[in-house]
Amino acid sequence: MGMIPREEATVAIVGVGGLGAPAALALAHAGIGRLLLVDDDEVDRSNLHRQILFRDCDVGRSKLEATVDGLARRRVKTRVETRTGRLSPGHSELVAGADVIVECSDNFATKFLAADVARLAGKPIVHGAAIRWIGTAFAVGPEGGPCYRCLFEDIPAGAQAGCDIAGVVGPVCGIIGAMQAQLALEVLDGKAPFGTLVSLDGLRDDLRVRRIRGRTGCALCGTTRTIDAIDAARYQASSSSED
Amino acid sequence: MAVIVRIPTPLRSLTGGNEEVNVEEAATVADVINSLEAKHAGMKDRLLDEKGVRKFINIYVGEEDIRFLEGLRTPVKDGEQISIVPAIAGGA
Repeated sequence: MGMIPREEATVAIVGVGGLGAPAALALAHAGIGRLLLVDDDEVDRSNLHRQILFRDCDVGRSKLEATVDGLARRRVKTRVETRTGRLSPGHSELVAGADVIVECSDNFATKFLAADVARLAGKPIVHGAAIRWIGTAFAVGPEGGPCYRCLFEDIPAGAQAGCDIAGVVGPVCGIIGAMQAQLALEVLDGKAPFGTLVSLDGLRDDLRVRRIRGRTGCALCGTTRTIDAIDAARYQASSSSED
Repeated sequence: MAVIVRIPTPLRSLTGGNEEVNVEEAATVADVINSLEAKHAGMKDRLLDEKGVRKFINIYVGEEDIRFLEGLRTPVKDGEQISIVPAIAGGA
């Protein structure tokens, strides 16, 4: 990818919670021209310790509305557009209009859907996740190799603990969300370390970087790939807990 | 021969909260997992299914994913560090 000027760039953020809030803040202050935000949730009081764009008075409001207001209070010049609802196969126009996708969702179904949509549209994507004291960030290039499915092949069976059950430490979200923003900026600058998995263990103050290899058998980007279209049924195998 | 296994937060409920487990007398990753299971029952089921390492679990010997080495037959050396990296879903 060549360099894309920040003021001309569009970044789509999937989920504006613990990761999406610091990512949106960092990207807006970095001068990104347009942010496209997707979320279906409302602000809960238990979110406030980590979802740093929200205030007490935002409890009960749409996270999208509260994020737009939170960014406006910082007087950023970024144009902010919103799409209410979870990322779905119907959001293809959103993906098509983005230069990079920042995936900050809290469930595997959305993470795998975002990975597949990005790969099929030929868009780079920066994945992030955080739970308890650990977090990961992973930038994937438009051609994959490696992609999220090279790393984690498919949606885990059964419910997985989310932040509402397992808990998450606020600063871990802040670090990972900011790191996702940094990786997105590197993508726009044409300098992204695609295929590098960054893992944070907050309890050990340990930040580890691993080079991930593409798998030839990957269903999304391997030589014998089988995913060439979005089938909504593929993403209903898991219903993890949601914030 | 002893190796150190780094336990990710989601699996520490099986190790009494311990972040690391020392495993003695292991020649391969499979040996390491069997030793983990002997010390901390339930660990094997969290890491493996009937086909091998679960799809949403990555196991590293040093910095290398065992899928690109010899899988569960990957040899381990004395003092080597084994890391378990599960997919995590949180973020909201």
